Amino acid sequence: MTRRCCFILLTLSLVAITPLAAMAAPQGTLRVATTTMPNAIDLPMGAERNAHNVSWQIYNALTWINDEGKVVPALAESWTISENGAEYTFKLRKGVKFHNGEAFNANSVVATWERGKQDKMQWKEKFAIAKYVQKVDEYTVKIGAEGPSPLLLRVIAEFWAMIPPRYYQQMGENGFLNHPVGTGPFMFKEWKKGDRIIFEANPDYWEDGYPKVKRLIFRPIPESTTRMAAIQTGEVDIVTRLSSEEAEALKAVPNVKMINYPVDRVYYIAFNNLTSGKGQPTESSLVRKAMNYAVDVQAIIDALFDGYGRQATGLITPGDWGYDEEIEPFGYDLKKAGELLNAAGYPDGFSMGFACPSGAYTNFEQVCEAIQGYLGAVGIETDLNLMESGKYWDLEGKKQLPPLFGDSWSEATGEALPRLKGALGGMDASFSAWSDPQIHKLLDEIGRTVDDEARAKLYVELQRYMQENPPFIYLYEPVTFEAVNPKVKDYRPRAAENYYLKYTSIE
Amino acid sequence: MQRYILSRLIQSLLILLGVLLIVFFMLQLTGDPVSLMVSRNASPEQVQRVREEMGFNRPMMVQFADFMTGAVVGDFGMSLRHRQPAMKLILERLPATVELATVALLMAMVIGIPLGLLGGSNPGGFWDTLCRLAGLIGQTIPNFWLALILIVFFSVGLGWFPTFGRETCTVFGIHLPTRSVILPAFALCLFTTGQLVRFTRAAVLEIKNEDYVRTAYSKGIGDRQIYTRHILRNAAIPLISIIGVQFGYLLSGSIYIETIFSWPGIGNLLAEAIGNRDFALVQAIAFFASLTVVILNLLTDIAYGLADPRIRYGD
Repeated sequence: MTRRCCFILLTLSLVAITPLAAMAAPQGTLRVATTTMPNAIDLPMGAERNAHNVSWQIYNALTWINDEGKVVPALAESWTISENGAEYTFKLRKGVKFHNGEAFNANSVVATWERGKQDKMQWKEKFAIAKYVQKVDEYTVKIGAEGPSPLLLRVIAEFWAMIPPRYYQQMGENGFLNHPVGTGPFMFKEWKKGDRIIFEANPDYWEDGYPKVKRLIFRPIPESTTRMAAIQTGEVDIVTRLSSEEAEALKAVPNVKMINYPVDRVYYIAFNNLTSGKGQPTESSLVRKAMNYAVDVQAIIDALFDGYGRQATGLITPGDWGYDEEIEPFGYDLKKAGELLNAAGYPDGFSMGFACPSGAYTNFEQVCEAIQGYLGAVGIETDLNLMESGKYWDLEGKKQLPPLFGDSWSEATGEALPRLKGALGGMDASFSAWSDPQIHKLLDEIGRTVDDEARAKLYVELQRYMQENPPFIYLYEPVTFEAVNPKVKDYRPRAAENYYLKYTSIE
Repeated sequence: MQRYILSRLIQSLLILLGVLLIVFFMLQLTGDPVSLMVSRNASPEQVQRVREEMGFNRPMMVQFADFMTGAVVGDFGMSLRHRQPAMKLILERLPATVELATVALLMAMVIGIPLGLLGGSNPGGFWDTLCRLAGLIGQTIPNFWLALILIVFFSVGLGWFPTFGRETCTVFGIHLPTRSVILPAFALCLFTTGQLVRFTRAAVLEIKNEDYVRTAYSKGIGDRQIYTRHILRNAAIPLISIIGVQFGYLLSGSIYIETIFSWPGIGNLLAEAIGNRDFALVQAIAFFASLTVVILNLLTDIAYGLADPRIRYGD
């Protein structure tokens, strides 16, 4: 009887466990097309978004930004913040192993920081945000900044991919870059340069039930027409960065599902009061407001982007912390523009140099030409110079562009502070051409305020100030289009065009 | 012969020097690439530090001397984007480009030479019209446009070939091409095919009217023998030069075709390097491409002498 009972119990438990195990087991291969071949499977060295998207599949950081934009624990189980907001003490997750079997502990955090802050690293400043990283015990670290550092947790989540110190030391920099090892949901398997990157599910991943797919393959397809063809033939399951016209063309294809979402990138025409714009009419806030009213941004969005896009209200987007819901875009108002120009003492307008990059952003040359036309309608004659983007950014970095220039700025941390500091930091920021003491004061205050609600209020104050004293002609926030195989489930791209594929499954 | 080869070698070295000079200074005209190497949030001090580390703050002539010193021993420095030796990156991509170029050249020869022969031997006939049409199409249709049409028709429409990428099969450790090479090779071979068709046709037409061919006919020798012994052998001489030169160009990588088909070769790498203003990589690829063309031209000239013993090299 006892044996029989045992048998029944065993059978029942097997019946109960089997579906769970089957559910948890990663299945299938997910193939993702990237628009470039990543230069490195590494966060500090990864040159751009594709490199970061590929890299995050095999790494973890101490913190993570969830789908709702909140910072949540990852390899750190919890943390406390010192009273002055400058020191964070992290309690690390125990029992986590790197793909090579090395244990994750405080030494990994120290090694990651020491490597990331080296001068040769592209994202050095994202590691230099910490002044020190100190091991307290095997599973406790203190990370300290110069002063209160409200963005530290977000920066860690975006850039501090934990590396195994012993393995890194053994392999050296190049060895590590060719065979990267992390703690993430996928493990590095193969990299055929220029052709494909292959990852496999990490069977010992510390988050139960993830990843969902057994194999992940990234294929670089720089040409968008080829990406369109590849999703139609089923050679890839996800393609990104399609234009609205391409999305329209794919709508009718039965085995393709189109998705679109607003991107956390703001396009603008910048004013300059640091070098070429000194002494120019655009130093007057009335003139700058007039120029904002003179441009019909909605018409540009409708004509050049088929209506896909949102008029920017500043450099903070709806997805960013502290976005002011009440703020409205300037809107197109020629009468107001004329009145403001009159009030500023320029009733007949003026002329000014204007530059935009070519080949860098979708339809941006046409956007700039349209703006030239709109400004011309209120008497502001601009000499538009469309320049090759490499040369353009070189000049922008050296503050040698004309007093009016177009560009855009994305942000991945979910807070606009890095973008604001970069674009409005005055002479302290390479790509800034504007300096305003009130903006500096507010940015400094935001940068010191650890309390989220208090920081949000400061962001609102800043947005309202930047509406009255616009350092840019605010243009638009674009929408990006992606095509996905309908068999793909739970693909969740984010506003910064980043994705974490641990959730994603394929039927 | 030896003097000729020596003088051609000296000429080749001068050409390579010229290429290095032009590429170096033209890249410098685009400004320094540091703005693309640092994040947009970098401070001017950080940017300056990187500029100094990379040596872009030094006078241009010093940078050029440094570049030439390395180039002489094949060291083109580190790729600014990949942070790896530029030559290593090229050599990684070389097999894909060699595969594509070889298949494209073979396709061009297999299509172009017989078609030219047929056209030249039947002037004014159906084959000649087809031959002239093929020559015209081959040399006038942009290959990047044809590439897209091929993808739409044969990959998306019929599903016969993959849309992009390179697949190989390994037999005894050797990577052999698969059908993934067919579409890119066909798009790439189009221009060379057009040239081969035109030149073969013209050579056949010219040789057919030579005295020795007429004599052969008058002796009652059959068509087949005349074509193989006299016409083809003599037509081969101009074709060798075209094949040699074209192979050089094909080997130096095709930016358009490799980009459209996402073929992991040197052309694709060059497109990416130009976009990222990766000076070291662009310079290394330009040098490599020139070296390939120069060597193949030299070999072609030597092959000339072997194919036609009447050719003398001025010694």
